[in-house]
Amino acid sequence: MALPVKGLEKLVSNPVAGNSAAIKEGASLFRANCSPCHGLNARGGGRGPDLTANRWVHGSSDTDIFRTITHGLPGTEMPANGFEDSETWAIIAYLRSFAPPKRHAASGDREKGEKIFSESGCSRCHMVKGRGGLLGPDLSRVGASRPVSYLIESIREPDKELSTGMLDPNNHYGLPLVYDTVTVVTAGGQRITGVAKNEDTFSIQLLDTDQHLKFFLKKDLKEVIRERKSLMPAYSEEMVSPEELQDLVAYLESLRGD
Amino acid sequence: MKKTVLLLGLLLGAWTSAQSQVSYERLVGAAREPQNWLTYSGRYSGWRYSSLDQINTGSASHLAMLWAFQVADLGQFETTPIVVDGVLYGTGQNDRAFALDARTGRAIWRYQRNLPEKLQPCCGMVNRGFAVLGDRLFMATLDAHVIALDTKTGNVVWDVMAADYHQAYTFTVAPLVVKNEVIVGVSGGEYGIRGFVDAYSTATGRRLWRFETVAGPGQPGHETWAGDSWKTGGAPAWITGSYDPELNLIFWPTGNPSPSNYGDDRHGDNLYSNCMLALDADTGRLKWYFQFTPHDLYDYDATQIPVLIDADWDGQSRKLLIQANRNGFLYVLDRTDGKFLSAKRFGRLTWAKEIGPDGKPIVNKDAVPNATGTEVCPGALGLTNWFSPSYNPDTRLLYVATSTECDIFTSAPQPYRAGHDFLGSVYVPDPIRRPSGALKALDPFTGIEKWEFKYFSSPNGGALSTAGGVVFAGESDGNFIALDARTGRDLWHVQLGAAIYSTAITYQLDGQQFVVIPAGSTLFAFAIFQQ
Repeated sequence: MALPVKGLEKLVSNPVAGNSAAIKEGASLFRANCSPCHGLNARGGGRGPDLTANRWVHGSSDTDIFRTITHGLPGTEMPANGFEDSETWAIIAYLRSFAPPKRHAASGDREKGEKIFSESGCSRCHMVKGRGGLLGPDLSRVGASRPVSYLIESIREPDKELSTGMLDPNNHYGLPLVYDTVTVVTAGGQRITGVAKNEDTFSIQLLDTDQHLKFFLKKDLKEVIRERKSLMPAYSEEMVSPEELQDLVAYLESLRGD
Repeated sequence: MKKTVLLLGLLLGAWTSAQSQVSYERLVGAAREPQNWLTYSGRYSGWRYSSLDQINTGSASHLAMLWAFQVADLGQFETTPIVVDGVLYGTGQNDRAFALDARTGRAIWRYQRNLPEKLQPCCGMVNRGFAVLGDRLFMATLDAHVIALDTKTGNVVWDVMAADYHQAYTFTVAPLVVKNEVIVGVSGGEYGIRGFVDAYSTATGRRLWRFETVAGPGQPGHETWAGDSWKTGGAPAWITGSYDPELNLIFWPTGNPSPSNYGDDRHGDNLYSNCMLALDADTGRLKWYFQFTPHDLYDYDATQIPVLIDADWDGQSRKLLIQANRNGFLYVLDRTDGKFLSAKRFGRLTWAKEIGPDGKPIVNKDAVPNATGTEVCPGALGLTNWFSPSYNPDTRLLYVATSTECDIFTSAPQPYRAGHDFLGSVYVPDPIRRPSGALKALDPFTGIEKWEFKYFSSPNGGALSTAGGVVFAGESDGNFIALDARTGRDLWHVQLGAAIYSTAITYQLDGQQFVVIPAGSTLFAFAIFQQ
């Protein structure tokens, strides 16, 4: 879909491409405005994809990126921005300044990977294109937002780099971390584990491991135990062989939301 | 004549007429008419305390909503309403304003300023409230004007420009009226402005004096700025000061030097950023200053309410000024001359080891931000921030909302461009430890913590305390809470559905005590349920 952008009705290229002063300004603007979602060095954060991977799902020309920054992406978390044109170009110059990453192209078989995904239990917790479980992140677009190295790490060592749940300074309604593992202990000693969908000083709302919503008042609980670990098991080589891992990653990499 | 009216009002105990005017004498004596809420902090001493006690530790569990007023706008709702003789006056997002029947919440008038499109307040299109004198309300606007509205109609009586909003000068502060002056301080510390505190004539809007908070050439303190850095030095003054009528001194705090997180181009202490200023109320002349965080690299604005308490100090009766500062220390100063008496930490901090006997911090050199990131506590939003503390003379405790957030600060030079943000890079919260908060009850003289009530999230709302032994506090997850002022026990709470970015006030009408709090875009009023 082509959205008209003022001054960008046709394809144009960045007037400050490669300009070191512009790259510096772009870095500063990026840190102040974009880093809460995309990470301090644009390598991806809790909510926004890695922008250093030279993987531009919504168009890779300067015009496309300009449009994405200016108008945002309806249907995603990417908002419209009020930068001046020169500032947007500076940000693009900054994003283009990263050396293209070494490609860890997934060498596996996509179709085999899809089979592993459904048979190894991944889809019990993860949604892809409207099918699957609710406990973990929806992976319908994961290939567009995460590099292969991240996907491998997430499977082998899911605790290593948890979604940081970066606080959104504009979120006045306080939706908290989505994939934090929480165990509550009831007055009767029952332990219920799940992910916290919401929480405040007085209450907590869980999606438990059976994918049922469970709500509690904290005054009725003995304890709320928060663990800095993922509910996702670490898939060792015994569980998913190196070859199967390549197949699985090939499948995940193919998921681009289209 | 006015004194007679005031006396009559005191005899009756409550004002039933909605027609009387607010004199300066009434502002000085605001503590004697708790049925009203006449200034931002309720009284000049900055206590945010009320001697009303109908809502108390026994009755608070019967609080119920009486009315709600919808501002019908988005963004942070930071107002502290003014209540005069049955009428409540408040401001809202995008410089809206309103007058309500304080009993029912029904609107008398609404005002909205016609704002220009390109405004750059750092932290939302917010306003913290009115000041009142006579039949006029005073408001400082986002496009850097000061205006007077008629109390009965909301019509503009005068409108003066204080600074150029194109250069990112804005106002968010609730003004302070002293005698015939309306006093305001500017915002824009994120944009390299040159800060000031101004006084305008309540009658005409004419500017009476200005105190520049960045010392320029020829001013004492100018030597604390390297080169031309003073020209973009920041030092905004965006929270309402306190006033001592006996000393005739206004105590007005200032904010961070610009750029906030990069100091290499502004070597020196950067006066008068992060200071408490004591200004002569008639002339705006500086009587004394005290700087809390010299050469700040962390955005530690000192824009917290100065709390004025007269108390014994080392066996001597003294006029004290107490401030729980964003940098994590609770300071005690002598407010007659600014002498430093003590500073005690009231939470986790790493930027300084301690405050030396001269009142200057002994900084931690490992905590200086660099290009790759340095973790520092408290974070840029501070151990506490602009939201009001409350001093309760019955418990002799200071109630302060606090945050546990630590941030990773990075630092890099940034060219100045007029009207653009000027931060010197950025900070992000520590991604591992989710920040939370607490309302702390502190001994204001020793800093000793008597109790704390833990919040799930970092707060943006302060505290109101009363003679009923209750502390009212609002938190970021939308809970409005009544706590026992002596123990911190939760007496009552209600979920208001949106983050609270302000602090409660209280007043009384027809024998009924109201407590009012903004949340989301709604002003809520609560009282003890009566059938």
